[in-house]
Amino acid sequence: MGLRLRAAIKILSVNLRHNFMPHLFIALVIAFLTQALFGIASLDAREAAQPLERLLSLTGTVLLTPIFLPEQNEDIRDLIRSKRTNYLAVCALRLACSIFFLAVVMGSFTYIMQCCESAVSFRHFVGGFATALFLGSLGFLFAGISQNTITGYMVSLIYYMINFGMKDELKNLYLFSMSAGSFNEKYWLLGGSAVLMAATFLWLCKASRTV
Amino acid sequence: MMLFFKECKKILRSLTFLIYCAAVLAMYFTQFHSDIGGPLEKPAPGEDSYGTIVREVPEILMPVAINCLVREYFSGSFTAYPYGFIKHVRLTEKEKARMAEIIAEVSGITPEQLDSFDAFEQGGYYMDENGDMAYLEPNIPEISIPSDLTYEHFRDLMRKADKIIGGGSMYGDGFIVGNFSRIPKTYEDALAEYDQFIDKDKVTGAYARLYCDYLGIVLAMLPVFVAASLARLDRKSRMEQLAYARKISSARLVFTRFFALAAVMLLPLILTAVIAHIRVKGVYAGYAVDSFAFLRYVVFWLVPNILTASAVGMLVTELVSGLLAVFVQGVWWIASIFSAVGGLTGGIRKFTLVMRHNSLLGHDVFYGQWTDIVFNRSFFTVFSLLAIMLTAWIYEQKRRGMIHGLTFKSSHKNTERQPKA
Repeated sequence: MGLRLRAAIKILSVNLRHNFMPHLFIALVIAFLTQALFGIASLDAREAAQPLERLLSLTGTVLLTPIFLPEQNEDIRDLIRSKRTNYLAVCALRLACSIFFLAVVMGSFTYIMQCCESAVSFRHFVGGFATALFLGSLGFLFAGISQNTITGYMVSLIYYMINFGMKDELKNLYLFSMSAGSFNEKYWLLGGSAVLMAATFLWLCKASRTV
Repeated sequence: MMLFFKECKKILRSLTFLIYCAAVLAMYFTQFHSDIGGPLEKPAPGEDSYGTIVREVPEILMPVAINCLVREYFSGSFTAYPYGFIKHVRLTEKEKARMAEIIAEVSGITPEQLDSFDAFEQGGYYMDENGDMAYLEPNIPEISIPSDLTYEHFRDLMRKADKIIGGGSMYGDGFIVGNFSRIPKTYEDALAEYDQFIDKDKVTGAYARLYCDYLGIVLAMLPVFVAASLARLDRKSRMEQLAYARKISSARLVFTRFFALAAVMLLPLILTAVIAHIRVKGVYAGYAVDSFAFLRYVVFWLVPNILTASAVGMLVTELVSGLLAVFVQGVWWIASIFSAVGGLTGGIRKFTLVMRHNSLLGHDVFYGQWTDIVFNRSFFTVFSLLAIMLTAWIYEQKRRGMIHGLTFKSSHKNTERQPKA
């Protein structure tokens, strides 16, 4: 158990040092752009949902999609396959790390909004987090299936785009529902994210057996 | 020409291009195609409503603008769009005092009354104890506009208020009329718009604009993925060094790839434009339609979008990485989408990447901005060609071993190793 824990810490620390930082930096740039461009002071509950859902949610795409990026280099992929540590376990650890930092970014941003006298509550944090997580999970799924991170970004951003004009068609999976005064969709987004992540691991598990 | 077709084939077989096609078709069928339900009805006299129109009427504009200014003063936060995005500006004590003087002059509420009024209710949406959104009406002192206040002086005062807020507010010249002076359209107004739709746009012209409005949203972003993916193909299949060693000039190779990208990405547009033309012609049987409207608008409006996003994709991927290309274009795209302060029609400026005109009507509004539109599309076309020239130069430097992405190598290293004669 101790060995496993030590290995997990080692994997996380390598991930943080060599892979994760540029993506976290871009997520922070998005957070900075959100506050600079939208304004986060003195917003009512519905207005406060807008920066969280419409721009900050893209941090999910930025943090969760590139989980498989290091293995895009085929030399590294070959090397990883030769190791005893289960590759999917490494991906799961990277994913947990990304989700943790996504929650930190979203939580910090919501807290700053509260300090700026905007009418935000815990629901705003959960709603924003669910939106970002769903976008990220979509990118994660498609990057995993296609083994191409750009495809993951593409699908995630296309889904983000269609939310601007297809509110009625998307129903429970509409991303900007909190800005429109409804929270129920967020439970669907959280559930949907779990399904997408599980589907990715199932796919990879099946794919690794056929190799 | 062989190379052009080879590149086209490569793009056609890529997954990102298939997703691009799916997105274009989805956008077309869900947004535009479903809008062509039946012919636009000619307005008939005596209808209840013909919609609203922006027209500068001081009697309507002044009370609404003053009401809004007083509410914002009490809330302590003024809404502005200095960079196209919403901002909530808080004033300093000195600025507040100057604003109170302006309010006193236009509303009859003295600074002392403003200070002593404590029954102010912000109003707006809030989340109640059940977690549902609810709306509360604002509460402000009674406004009495002085009878000797002229409209010209009022506008001067609003300009001053806008300056105090920092520009881009609802009281500035750019927004005040559109924000506070909407009046119901008359039958004559509605009929004149309809006549322009039939006579000047020849039906298909108006539909082609609406088609470009929808498709332009995705085309300002998606080509960057296809371009970045194409550049990645060489690296993934470890063909980079092989390609560098070929005889072909860098400029020819890069420009051929660029035009291949543009040509292939135009294919789903041509397909959907033809479908749209046939559908509109069928719905408006018996009307004189412009047969080339869709083609003209696609080339003039949408091709610069494809060129720009592809050029950014190729340039940034060549210089740094595909992921950064996606990020750069994404930021530009989002900035353009959110800065549509003029609404979905009539907000086209010289440097607007995503042009919007989300209406079958408004021929005069669109052509009222014609000079800016021509400048805009020419600018983005020239920008993309310059970006591709820069890409070709970077590619050439990489071939020579002078640049490796953002890492520069000393240009003397190779010569130093040469044996002296």
